[in-house]
Amino acid sequence: MKQHTKLSQEQQHTEPHQIKSQTGQEFAGAEELLRFDAAQTSVPPQIAQRLKHSAQNAAPAPRPWWKNLLGQ
Amino acid sequence: MDTTAEGSTLVGQPPTGWPSDEIAALYAEHSRAIFYLTLRFLGDPQKAEDATHDVFLKAFRSLGNFRGDASARTWLYRIAINHCQNLNQSWHNRHVQTSADDAIWENAAAKTDSPLRVLETKELGQRIQNTLDSLSDEYRLLLLLVADEELSYDEIATLLDQTADAVRGKLHRARKTFAARFEQTA
Repeated sequence: MKQHTKLSQEQQHTEPHQIKSQTGQEFAGAEELLRFDAAQTSVPPQIAQRLKHSAQNAAPAPRPWWKNLLGQ
Repeated sequence: MDTTAEGSTLVGQPPTGWPSDEIAALYAEHSRAIFYLTLRFLGDPQKAEDATHDVFLKAFRSLGNFRGDASARTWLYRIAINHCQNLNQSWHNRHVQTSADDAIWENAAAKTDSPLRVLETKELGQRIQNTLDSLSDEYRLLLLLVADEELSYDEIATLLDQTADAVRGKLHRARKTFAARFEQTA
């Protein structure tokens, strides 16, 4: 677990901003609610289709000369 | 035959339909995070779709310039934040309102969910959106970034052009404001 996650949990324990949904679900705070919301959100599949089409027609930028020089 | 999660691809060839492995991998790993940020920051599913497409297209075009001293997630967030802030400042955005497509909000629930569950998910999503919309851009962005467990405080601070201590201080106020405003949307 990353440090910031621990910090978030510590802060939420000491500074409770509990959130309750209308269906009775309880969340420790805004971040937990937003994580739940993000997990419920699916990416519309048409974005990938559009992106594939757009990217096929768009050449990527050439590598900078210094990257070629340094072999990066 | 080796395959990828993106679908039936021979080793050495990009996944089906993608022009390169790099953009396919970036999209597979980060599209949910970028779509969610744009969705909740812009508050409009159609704009979020367009923004997510544009962010990954910009990333594809500048893959050669990605230095790798930041994580790919942070790099994509940087592009997304700049893109969303430009959109919010544009004349078109301030004068033309698009109508949110209910179908996109409803897609948030899994296809196997019951109608009641779909309705609950939609209502909760709308309350979250109303709450976020009532916050300043700064608080909204801060909470959305902190909610991503892959980002450290230092990375968030860099994205917001602030110190990590300032981020922690503002986060306390943002959480408190969010909780109070969320209650008001009930």
